[in-house]
Amino acid sequence: MSMWALSVLALLPAFALPVFVACRDADTGNRLVAAELASGLACCLLAALTFVIDQSSFMDIALCLALLSLPGALIIATFLERWL
Amino acid sequence: MSAVVGVLLALTVLAAWLGVAGFMRLRDPLDRVHCVAFVNAVAGAGLTLAAFCADGFSDRALKILAIFMVNLLAGAAISHVTGRAITQRGESA
Repeated sequence: MSMWALSVLALLPAFALPVFVACRDADTGNRLVAAELASGLACCLLAALTFVIDQSSFMDIALCLALLSLPGALIIATFLERWL
Repeated sequence: MSAVVGVLLALTVLAAWLGVAGFMRLRDPLDRVHCVAFVNAVAGAGLTLAAFCADGFSDRALKILAIFMVNLLAGAAISHVTGRAITQRGESA
């Protein structure tokens, strides 16, 4: 097993915890911050996964996720500030 | 070079776990935002350096660098907007 595969396996539980908080926490602010943390970790995971399976298209998914996280977070933050 | 990549990947995983541990330990969302910035900066830097050590100046490594830069720059804006939203919400409640 390569070092990249080991790092992906080690990152998976770290990714699962904020996902769980984002799904289950009672406070909406905590859920938004957890989703942001999960988004950053997902980028790292997908980037490392590119080296594991040698599939370069995974890098484009990570790049799209990084680019789309900004407008996504802005929209959710606006909703949180005004209506939620 | 393989050992360097291993060390950088270990640093990445350690930074991710440290950020998640801090995130779980802290209770206030305004405190938790700092953990997000830490993970984006340190884990992203480790992964980017590991990619450059493993691949050199390849397309893949440059894309990881782009992801790192986007996460770092957009993360600052996202942290600010999130903090403002949480603060405004707390004041209006």
